[in-house]
Amino acid sequence: MKNELVKKYSEEHLRFLKRRKNHLLFVWSLRIGILVLLFGIWELTTALGWVDAFIVSSPSRIFGTIASLYEDGSLFYHVGVTLWETLAGFAIAVGLGVFIALALWWSNTLREVLEPYIVVINALPKIALGPMIIIWFGTGSEAILCMTVLVGIIIAILHMLSAFIATDKNKILLLRSMGASKAQILIKLVIPSSLPSFISMLKVAVGMAWIGSIMGEYIVSRAGLGYLIVYGGQVFRLDLVMSATLILCVLAAGMYFLVVLLEKILVKSAEH
Amino acid sequence: MRKESLRFFDVTHIYHTVRAETTAAEHLSFSVNEGEFVAIIGPSGCGKTTLLSLAAGLLEPSGGEVMRCGSCGYMLQKDELFPWRTIEKNIVIPLEIKRQNTPEHRERAKALAVKYGLGDFLQSYPSQLSGGMRQRAALIRTLATDPDILLLDEPFSALDYQTRLNVTEDVSKIIRSEGKTALLITHDISEAISLADRVLVLSERPAHVAYTHTLDFGELTNPLKRREAPGFSGWFELLWKELNG
Repeated sequence: MKNELVKKYSEEHLRFLKRRKNHLLFVWSLRIGILVLLFGIWELTTALGWVDAFIVSSPSRIFGTIASLYEDGSLFYHVGVTLWETLAGFAIAVGLGVFIALALWWSNTLREVLEPYIVVINALPKIALGPMIIIWFGTGSEAILCMTVLVGIIIAILHMLSAFIATDKNKILLLRSMGASKAQILIKLVIPSSLPSFISMLKVAVGMAWIGSIMGEYIVSRAGLGYLIVYGGQVFRLDLVMSATLILCVLAAGMYFLVVLLEKILVKSAEH
Repeated sequence: MRKESLRFFDVTHIYHTVRAETTAAEHLSFSVNEGEFVAIIGPSGCGKTTLLSLAAGLLEPSGGEVMRCGSCGYMLQKDELFPWRTIEKNIVIPLEIKRQNTPEHRERAKALAVKYGLGDFLQSYPSQLSGGMRQRAALIRTLATDPDILLLDEPFSALDYQTRLNVTEDVSKIIRSEGKTALLITHDISEAISLADRVLVLSERPAHVAYTHTLDFGELTNPLKRREAPGFSGWFELLWKELNG
């Protein structure tokens, strides 16, 4: 039985599969190797006193810092605060962004009227709104949430609107020739054909949400990873700065991979 | 005298852009009888697609009148199948749009697909089908709601030559055996001759009907056989001259 299975492929194809596997193994070992090497050199040079660990920190000090944050219970508190701000901001920016994009697709007049406003808000560096946000929303999580939404929503609107507008004109003509209403065109054609753009928008929006939440915490905050970084910088505790940055890397990568996973699930369910 | 399915009566249509207004059609009059296959040929840019949009009721004429008895089915250059739907789900789109998505209607559409060789592909996605099969699926989709008039907007022009001959033959067979009224717009003279009962030649813009010919192939409706028929080249030369003269 097993022999028969192997027989299905030619010798050449088996060699091809083996080469492919070896190549992947090589790439992965280099990826991990670079990380180990960097941390190794970092640790070694600081341990030997060639560079000052007070200025550049070191892997062991970082893990020590993370461990002590974990012990006094503040690790999950700060991670939780930032994660909540980022996820909530992401969800609101995406949800509201898609809704507004739909409204702009629906009404040409509305789109024409609002176009200059969207262009200006898009061009404006959102951080300029910081003081206003603090005065209006206070210094708590609401202000940061507001900043996160502001940073993400315009991109979400523009991205989805251009996807909706790019819907195949001939397919719209076809549906209209069947007597389709605008709502039917939207539901049967515009929304399903914009699914790939929706996913690519999510990938961009994830990055925007992190920018928004960390930027918000830089401006005003009493908790969160952005707060730890700013606080650590002010009191010259590089261990804290590096630790928070490292955690941020892991979280941002994790969230991005969740979106990629969602993409795979959606594409699969759309195809089968 | 046979019943008229579609009638253009002194139709004028003007296109407006900011820079100019263009008269696409003027004093355009013709009719299509029930069960008849009419082909319209014309110089490029003479407003052929406008004419079909007017016939389908997607555009309102600026002047004159378009009369339609019954419903229209529109078939475009490309199949325009939705890639995220299976063939089965694609051919019931018009039923969903017209809120006729009942089991009987669905069964009728499926039976049509099976009858015309798509039975094995109902659960396939459009990307898994050849260009010819896709265009056939597009025709079945057009026929799903049992329209009275078929409007064909150069439905074969996006196919390669070999496939085009085959699909033309398929489509002709299906339309004839279902007894449908059809209005075909094309720039391909030989396609018009091989398919139609009657050929209308449009003028340059603003379009009106310059010549009308009833083709004398009698009972011969098979497009490939027509291409071999003795009268074919004579019609071709005549229409060529009228189109370019």
